[in-house]
Amino acid sequence: MSSDIGSGIYEVTSLKEDIVEKQRERKLNFGYWGPTPGDARKAAVGKRKGLHDKRMTLKDAVDKYVRDGISIGIGGFVNTRIPAAIVHQIVKKGARDLTLSFQSNSMCAEWLAGAMIVNPDHLSIKRVELAWWGYEVIGIAPLLRYLNANGMIELDDYTNYGMSARFKAAAMGLSFIPTRDHGGSDMELVNRGTMIKCPFTGENTYLVPACYPDLGIVHVSASDMYGNSRIFGSLCTCPEIAMAAVDTIVTAETIIPTESIREYPNLTEIPYPVVDAVCEQPFGGYPGAVYGNYWFDVDHFLKFRSICDDFRKTGNKDELKEYYDTYFFSCETFDDFIAKIPREKIAEIKQMDGGQPIIL
Amino acid sequence: MDYNPYEMIAYTGSRVLEDDTIVFVGTGLPIIASMHAQLTHAPNISLIFEAGSLASILEQGMPLSVGDTRAFRKAVFAKGLCALFELTQRGYADYAFIGGAQIDMFGNVCSTYQGGTYLKPNVRFPGSGGAGAMAANCEKTIAIMVLEKRRFVKKLDFVTSIGFGDGSPDYRANAGVLGAGPYRVITDKALFGFDEESRRMVLLEVLPGMKAEEIQDLIEFELLISPDLQEMREPSEEDLMLLRDRCDPDGYFLKRKVVQD
Repeated sequence: MSSDIGSGIYEVTSLKEDIVEKQRERKLNFGYWGPTPGDARKAAVGKRKGLHDKRMTLKDAVDKYVRDGISIGIGGFVNTRIPAAIVHQIVKKGARDLTLSFQSNSMCAEWLAGAMIVNPDHLSIKRVELAWWGYEVIGIAPLLRYLNANGMIELDDYTNYGMSARFKAAAMGLSFIPTRDHGGSDMELVNRGTMIKCPFTGENTYLVPACYPDLGIVHVSASDMYGNSRIFGSLCTCPEIAMAAVDTIVTAETIIPTESIREYPNLTEIPYPVVDAVCEQPFGGYPGAVYGNYWFDVDHFLKFRSICDDFRKTGNKDELKEYYDTYFFSCETFDDFIAKIPREKIAEIKQMDGGQPIIL
Repeated sequence: MDYNPYEMIAYTGSRVLEDDTIVFVGTGLPIIASMHAQLTHAPNISLIFEAGSLASILEQGMPLSVGDTRAFRKAVFAKGLCALFELTQRGYADYAFIGGAQIDMFGNVCSTYQGGTYLKPNVRFPGSGGAGAMAANCEKTIAIMVLEKRRFVKKLDFVTSIGFGDGSPDYRANAGVLGAGPYRVITDKALFGFDEESRRMVLLEVLPGMKAEEIQDLIEFELLISPDLQEMREPSEEDLMLLRDRCDPDGYFLKRKVVQD
């Protein structure tokens, strides 16, 4: 779908006509990159709704829900509460032709991209709908830069609000949501949203399609065995992603008793029906930060980024392969990966959190 | 007084913020500028971090990202991205404080890619992140940039964050965005505003000792020069102490060699 009620961006853009035309095709022949709103609704209706113990190992959860060709909604934000443990297991299992959906991410996206570069037959990313992929003060993302420069992945660019609103629309059971951004920027020309005239005010308003991932992956501060989850610090867009996705895997720093959940139900940010697997995983957001538990490991970010940047510059994959052999393929579990991080570093990042108060 | 370019940017950023406002900040110098303003002339400024905090107290040191857990310290409201962007869309964020790789004469900003094409760019940057939404829906946009010809360009490779578009009076309304648009551009050598009639970038202040022509030489497009051209105010010893000891004691942003892209 596309509209002719565009803004003046056509007068401003530097984009070549053939590219605008090509991107316009995606609007005209619009298709959701994950399930349709109707399919997602059916999947929700078809679920068992009782309170069931959903605890399982991370390996079992990823084996059950990760398949070739699925779309994955990645929780967290930049380097905060990123679902690192789940991504770690996805890299080990492997999956091809993935669609990734997130607002802003650092390590999760680069870890998946690096796995693709090391062995595309094992893991590959087909396309990414996103607002931002990078390392902030540490630098731009070398593997995004590499994959994009070589035309190896398809991108769909929104703002952070745009991607968050897309998940929110899905969490609300809608097929789209109006926003007051994207219009008048080149995102209006290249992404899959469309401008309409508001039927009530007559003002131009930009619509973005809902984003229903096949699988939502979210790391939380605490969950009970049913999936009722608490999040402290930034919620990022995790509640919306969990509710938007057909299936959701939650890793939790700790599992708490349901009595505690029932005592403070207002603290539940993700309700159990939208959670399909619960995995207790301390340090499940490492090397990212988890409020109340640990700060992010700047050194590990720097180390991985520098390996990736060396690959981008030289094309030599040896160091990258070695990183994956050391930190992924020779680790049976995520705990084995954490065990490879120096103890002093773990103590340091716990201390750097500064004792942010959380309620368990 | 000896100060480096980042300290001048942070100090100038502080100067342009009014008290009793809400500032939607990006990482780095915008945070430092806002903290300095809070410590001096604008004690009642509150910050929004897009990960979802309002009015946090940055007592744990400088957040290294807008998602940093430190950006939530002692906030009065802590939610996620939707909540704070929606508060902004509703009209409660006075200033957007953004960076970028390129800016044009109408205050449009690029932070998506440079060189090549959109489908195969030479250098892909992280992307819009929050900037596109902040520039659309905060009331006034302040951009921070190093003053270089490759950044102050005639034509952006990609419009990531909307300014005044092509300068036509109804550009922003037709784009469907809500904020009034570009307000100030802060660099290490000059402070710019925008002409109300033409919506073009205007040189308001220059670094003491510099001339308007020298600024023009660092810019690809033709600048308007304010008839009331001023010299940039320099930070006092006390300002520098606040910046160095209170705002960024680890020197993450004030002492690094490159301002973030």
